[in-house]
Amino acid sequence: MAGVLVFGDTVGGKLAPASLEMAVAGAALAQALNEPLAGALIGDGLDAAAAEFAGGFTTLHLLEGKHLRPYTARCAIAAARAAIEACKPSVVLFPHTLETREWVPRLAAMLDTGLVMDCTALAAEGSDLVVSKPVYGGGVVAQYVVRGVTRLVTVRTGVFEGGAGAASAAVNKIAVAEPAAGRVTLIDEQKMQAEGGVRLKDATTIVSGGRGLGGPDNWHYIEEAAASIGGAVGCSRPVADSGWVSSAHQVGLSGTSVKPDLYIAVGISGAVQHLAGISNSSTVVAINVDGDADMFTRANYGVVGDYKEVLPGFVARAKQLRG
Amino acid sequence: MNIIVTVKQVADPNIPPAHIQLDPDGKRIISPFGVPPVMNGYDANALEEAIRLKEAHGGKITVLGLGDDTSRESLKMAVAMGADTAILINDPDLVNGDSATIGRALAAAIKKIGMPDLVLCGRQASDTDGGQVLHWLAEALDLPTVAPVTKIEAVAGNELTVHRLIEDGYQRIKVELPALLGVSSEINEARHPSVRGTMAAGRAMIAGWKAADIGLAPQTPKVELRELQIQLRTTKAELIEGASGAEKGAALANKLHELGLI
Ligand SMILES: Cc1cc2nc3c(=O)[nH]c(=O)nc-3n(C[C@H](O)[C@H](O)[C@H](O)COP(=O)(O)OP(=O)(O)OC[C@H]3O[C@@H](n4cnc5c(N)ncnc54)[C@H](O)[C@@H]3O)c2cc1C
Ligand SMILES: Nc1ncnc2c1ncn2[C@@H]1O[C@H](COP(=O)(O)O)[C@@H](O)[C@H]1O
Repeated sequence: MAGVLVFGDTVGGKLAPASLEMAVAGAALAQALNEPLAGALIGDGLDAAAAEFAGGFTTLHLLEGKHLRPYTARCAIAAARAAIEACKPSVVLFPHTLETREWVPRLAAMLDTGLVMDCTALAAEGSDLVVSKPVYGGGVVAQYVVRGVTRLVTVRTGVFEGGAGAASAAVNKIAVAEPAAGRVTLIDEQKMQAEGGVRLKDATTIVSGGRGLGGPDNWHYIEEAAASIGGAVGCSRPVADSGWVSSAHQVGLSGTSVKPDLYIAVGISGAVQHLAGISNSSTVVAINVDGDADMFTRANYGVVGDYKEVLPGFVARAKQLRG
Repeated sequence: MNIIVTVKQVADPNIPPAHIQLDPDGKRIISPFGVPPVMNGYDANALEEAIRLKEAHGGKITVLGLGDDTSRESLKMAVAMGADTAILINDPDLVNGDSATIGRALAAAIKKIGMPDLVLCGRQASDTDGGQVLHWLAEALDLPTVAPVTKIEAVAGNELTVHRLIEDGYQRIKVELPALLGVSSEINEARHPSVRGTMAAGRAMIAGWKAADIGLAPQTPKVELRELQIQLRTTKAELIEGASGAEKGAALANKLHELGLI
């Protein structure tokens, strides 16, 4: 077993930006281990995504099949096993997504091998794989040694800077046979349209609201503020749990990890689990009535005040400035 | 419907990082004095869902925990909420096990209890943020699994229709029983114990099982914890001032415009 295998991800047939981050993380690790680097994509019709998945891989494995989209754990596992079988890597990296969170642990159990999920740093010490991962919501970082023949790691997105790597040496298409019907059957997918159509994960500007908004009737304050600066709408967990907006908007440990240029948190206290999702934001602004809120310890700029006064003032001025 | 709910006791996730304490070898979080450990939040959601299923369809709820003896407190809380029976695996050799060890120990205990129709777990534990144990457990019992589950839409014969969270909505999924679900917080709001429940919990006998009781072979760890490090934040935001809330808002817009951010 030798080599680092890096899985990318696709969304709607396009390469997800996280894929290039994985390639960068994988390249560094492969170099440290002095092992070859291979890539892999799972999906149906991967040529376009493959062309963009530049990681300088010795081989890029394309695992294709009609049954691989939309995602089901059973089919993703079968596909990944085919890639692992093809190149027998000593380490496999995956982007940490709602999909990999479900199927990669099951794969680890099937392969009887070590896995750590949501890692933010990877290192080789000799042949040992040492990974760091935030635990306890993000207030603590744990360092683990991962063991096993095929060590598995999911990597937090937004941590590694995705580069423009070199093209791959060879493409290996593997037609994955559809596994026998399982006991889990996908009926359909219900998509919630994100306002403005911007995916939170890719948004460069985000206005996020928390429990401090007081209720769904006040949510328009957040929507108006986001609209005034062309931003996406985010929220804290209590807001999604209470159904003020769909969980597709939730930012944080159990929601989406975002990396905008500007993140404005309104009525959000700044619990570690929320901060875990915004650690890669460049500029963070907190608007909160409580000057002692933890959000101010992460924010670059803060406004201590009631959002019902602050946001209308902000929106009016922002509209003038943006013309 | 017979249901087993796995319940982990964890340090309260609301303790701010500045108040987190580690044990001397830096491998475990210790609850500060006066802040007792709690039932993992997603496990409370899992238990709540089990109670609702029992209310609708009958059956029995067993809660299963693995931890030191103090974990009995969370199992008692589970009985107080409405679980029928509670079992604790309190073998010191297993308590600090990795996800594989814990998942397989829970699986071995479930084999001993008898296979239920449904195993409900939390999607992850708030101390390790691991998200793995349920899947090792499911694989060891060969159970079909869905996670994270935000709703049980329908129960029909030996099939459930559930919602699984995806980035921009949810998948509707049919799963055959027996099955395991990893429950997320959107699914419900966990209840507080009733007086009657609290009295039942006071009388509840909680069995303590060791590896030998569940026929568990010794496990070699696949993941080894080296150390924990507390992350402290010491920065402080630059405050935007103004005579009124509205003026502060306008000043904020000016600042962000200056920075080229809006
Ligand atoms: C395992 C686990 C995973 C979690 N995952 C996530 C996650 O992914 N994302 C997440 O967000 N949370 C997550 N949480 C929950 C997290 O711990 C906090 O409970 C949550 O972030 C708090 O949300 P909040 O800040 O909106 O609410 P609160 O903590 O209630 O804060 C509300 C804030 O609003 C302020 N406020 C009140 N009125 C006003 C006003 N008029 N104007 C301005 N400010 C006002 C208050 O001062 C306060 O600071 C998770 C928790 C656990 C245990
Ligand atoms: N020690 C434990 N005792 C009981 N259940 C557990 C234990 N560890 C994990 N679990 C279950 O597995 C889920 C995922 O845990 P983890 O993989 O640690 O994030 C939890 O929400 C629990 O339902």
